[in-house]
Formats: sequence, structure tokens, C-alpha cells
Amino acid sequence: MPRASHPHAMQPRNPGSTRTAPPQMPPKFPMQGRYRAYTLFDWTGLIYLLLGFLALRIVWALGDGEAAWNFVMEQFQNPIYIGFHVLSLVSVIFVGVRFFGFFPKAQPPRIGPVKPPPQPVILAGLYAAWVGVTVVMTLILTGALFR
Amino acid sequence: MSEQQKKKFVITRFDPDRDEVPKTQEYEIPVQPDWKVLDALNFIKDEVDGSLSHRWSCRMAVCGSCGMMVDGEPKLTCKEALSNYGDTVEIAPLANFPIVRDLVVELDGFMDKFKSVKPWIIRAKERAVEEGPMRQSPEELEEFKQFSMCINCMLCYSACPVVANEPEFIGPAAIALGHRYSLDSRDEGAAERNEVFRGEGTVFSCSFANECSEVCPKHVDPAAAVNQAKFNAVIDWAQGLILPRGGK
Amino acid sequence: MKHLLLKFEPLIWLLFGQGVLLGTLLLTGWVLVVGVLAPLGIAPLLSFADAHELAATLIGRLVLAGLIVLPLWKGAHHMRHVFIDMGGADRDATVAPLLYLIALVGSVAGIIAVVRL
Repeated sequence: MPRASHPHAMQPRNPGSTRTAPPQMPPKFPMQGRYRAYTLFDWTGLIYLLLGFLALRIVWALGDGEAAWNFVMEQFQNPIYIGFHVLSLVSVIFVGVRFFGFFPKAQPPRIGPVKPPPQPVILAGLYAAWVGVTVVMTLILTGALFR
Repeated sequence: MSEQQKKKFVITRFDPDRDEVPKTQEYEIPVQPDWKVLDALNFIKDEVDGSLSHRWSCRMAVCGSCGMMVDGEPKLTCKEALSNYGDTVEIAPLANFPIVRDLVVELDGFMDKFKSVKPWIIRAKERAVEEGPMRQSPEELEEFKQFSMCINCMLCYSACPVVANEPEFIGPAAIALGHRYSLDSRDEGAAERNEVFRGEGTVFSCSFANECSEVCPKHVDPAAAVNQAKFNAVIDWAQGLILPRGGK
Repeated sequence: MKHLLLKFEPLIWLLFGQGVLLGTLLLTGWVLVVGVLAPLGIAPLLSFADAHELAATLIGRLVLAGLIVLPLWKGAHHMRHVFIDMGGADRDATVAPLLYLIALVGSVAGIIAVVRL
């Protein structure tokens, strides 16, 4: 038998007098079928938290001076850091693909008098922005722009 | 004459007068190649075990009565071809709902959530009969029409992981219907509904699993409605910061 | 606490949404170069002097602030969902504020970090 949902899931405000059996969880939740992608999507939250704090560390080191900056950059050559960043890159791309796929249909049909663009246009725009920002960021960080 | 195909059905049974907890019972029956899952259930009830309880009505996927878990996924049993399933088919009551008996679930919890979103046209001032009917263009209709197609089958509630874990969450179908009315050009109740959408059953509990839209047999796309409703609730909140409602 | 969470939910959702959208846009190139290509020696990285000069511009500070703050709110909000999905809804009123506090502390530290560059 599947495991139980929250004991009060879908319970009426005024339950009847007949005893009911407790609600059951969808059997494929959390890691089977389509639920797997959803659960992994939520777990990327941990990766994003760590990335945010790592970015904080880098920027703080940048403010502390060259020695601190070099120390952090040397640490990033540790295979554990590289492994984490490879996993992070995969996670960020996974998040982008899933979220950008949903984003167009989440826009209301109008905001006041303004209608959003058609959904395929929004999706194309998101991917164009993603590629554009990534290319510009890469060129800047590698010194190809603004050296 | 070729031998008729047989399939085994593993069906959840629960009699509140006799059973502590639900259990499963197996039935092996001959099946026809053009049967839906519901045909098999009706055969079992008619020919094998008259005590089996299940809801059904229209047999053509418009009434929303026959929703059940088939091989772990919420389906309308009148719509699902039996040929899509293997030699053993598991049938259980809709997930996330209290079980009344066998495959029948308690619906009043959904009715409470349904009513809470005020699913009717709200006018600031009722229109007088002499003013004639309210007019609506085809473009205005298109803005909400998709969300009006819901047949209240509740497959979306069975699929939703938030419904499973957060009892107060209003849920996909009810939010989609409330949003349908807020989008209706004849309606003036969006602000009232936004108070419900930001209340205890908050639309922001939705984590965009999109399972509701995946299982919806009528392509209502409740996930789109819920997330549009979040957006509108944010605009309502931002407007409230700039222009507090005061005595409204 | 539940009432406070409901009151601030639109703001948290906005921050979370931008954490996913803008955060993902910014993070891809950042993680690619700083986390993978440069440490592996496949691509060069800005020198400290160049990095500091760029970072200290207004746009540089804004982008770096975004790189710190936005992922934190996406992360906190999604970890809240993970906790609820694991059956923790009844303790959400305790856990959610803790997660958002982590994001808030990180955000404040991030703003200080870009200001002091």
C-alpha cells in the first residue's frame, strides 16, 4: 500500500459520521516517473544556496586584497570544488530548461491594457537572453572583453 | 475460436464497518479488446463481486465521476483503454483523498475549497435588467475559456504533491476556477479573490510540479492558472503597498 | 509566524522567481568560467587587478550583488518546499523563517561585500 499523505489532506471542514480511511500519497511520489524531475528541481535549492555563499566568499576576497583572492582561486582548483562546480553547472542548466519551459504559460493574459508576447516568442527570448548573458559573462571573466 | 484474453485486477477494498485499514483484492476476468478500464470494473461488479463500490456516470469523460488511480497514476477510468495496460492492472481510490469505501473518496473537502474561491461573477453593483445583457467579445472570452473547461474530476488533486502535504492549500482546480472568474471581463471580484488566494490556502504554496496539468483530461492547464494567479496576487499586493485599501 | 509568512509571501516569491530567472542567467557563465574552465586551466581568468577594477564599477557591483542575493532566495524557498515534501508541513512555521533568515543574512553580507570593494 502507498504511504500516507498528510492525515488532514482534503479533509472536509465538517467530516461526516462514517469513518474514512486516511488519504494515500500518489505512489510514484517523490522519485518515480515525472516526480523525479520535480524533486530534483527542488533539491537544486541546496546547490543555489551554496553557490550564493561561494559567490559571497569570492566577492569578499576581492575586497580583502590579492592574497585573499589568490587563496580562494587556488582552493577552487581542488577536485572537490571542481566536482561541485560541474554538478552546479548541470543543475543550473537543468533549472533553466525546466523553468524557462514553464515561464511563458505563467504570464497572465494581460496586465492592465498590456498583453504579453505570444508564448513561443517569450520562450525564444528567454533562451536568447540566456545564451547572450552566458557568452558576455564568459568573455568578460576570461578577459576577452575589457582587459 | 481464439481464447479470450484475461487480465488480473488488483483493487483496493475498504469497508469502514469491517476493515481497520484498506487492503487489496485480486480479480481475474476475461476482457474485450475495446474495453476501457471502467468496463472491467463494471464487469467485476456485475458478474463477480457485487460488493465492489466505485463511482461512474457518463462514460464519456465529461462528468468527472470515475477518477481513480490506475497503475499508480490518476486517470478517468472511462477514458483509459485497457489495452494500454499489462496483464495485471492495479486500481486504487484517488490519492490524497480520505477513502469512504473501496474506490469511493470523500469529496466534501474539495467542495469546501471550491466554494472558498467564490466561483461566480462578482459585481460591485448588480446590473439592472433594463440595462440588458453584459456583452463580451470573443477575445475577452478567449482569455479565460480554457480555465472554464474543468469537469471537477479531481485528478489534479491526486497528482499534486502540495495537496498531499499541505492540507490548507486551495488546490489546482479551485484556484483555476477562481482565476477563471477573475479573468472574466464581466467580473469585478478579483480583489476579493486575491484575499482568498493570499490567505491560509495560499496560491504561493504551489511549487510548480506541473503534475496537475500533466494529468488533466480536459487540458485546462491548472498549473498555468495557479501561476498566473500568483502573478496577479503580487500585483495586487504591490498596489496595496502604494494605495492601501483603507476602508474598503 | 504563519501570518507573517503569508504577509511577506509575495515579496519572497518575487525574490525567489528572480533568483531562478536572473540567477540562472547570471550563474551559467559564472560557474562555467570561475568554477570549471579556469580551475582546469582550459580558459584564463581575469587578474586580480582587472577583476577588482571591473567589480568596483556600478554595473559590476549590481551584477555581483545579483549573483550572491538571487540564488540565496531561490535556494531558501526551494529547500522550504523540500522540507514540506518530506512531510514537514506542520513545522513549516518554524523552518521557513530559519531558511529565509539564512537568505537574508547572506543578502545583507552580499550587499556589504559589494559596497566595500
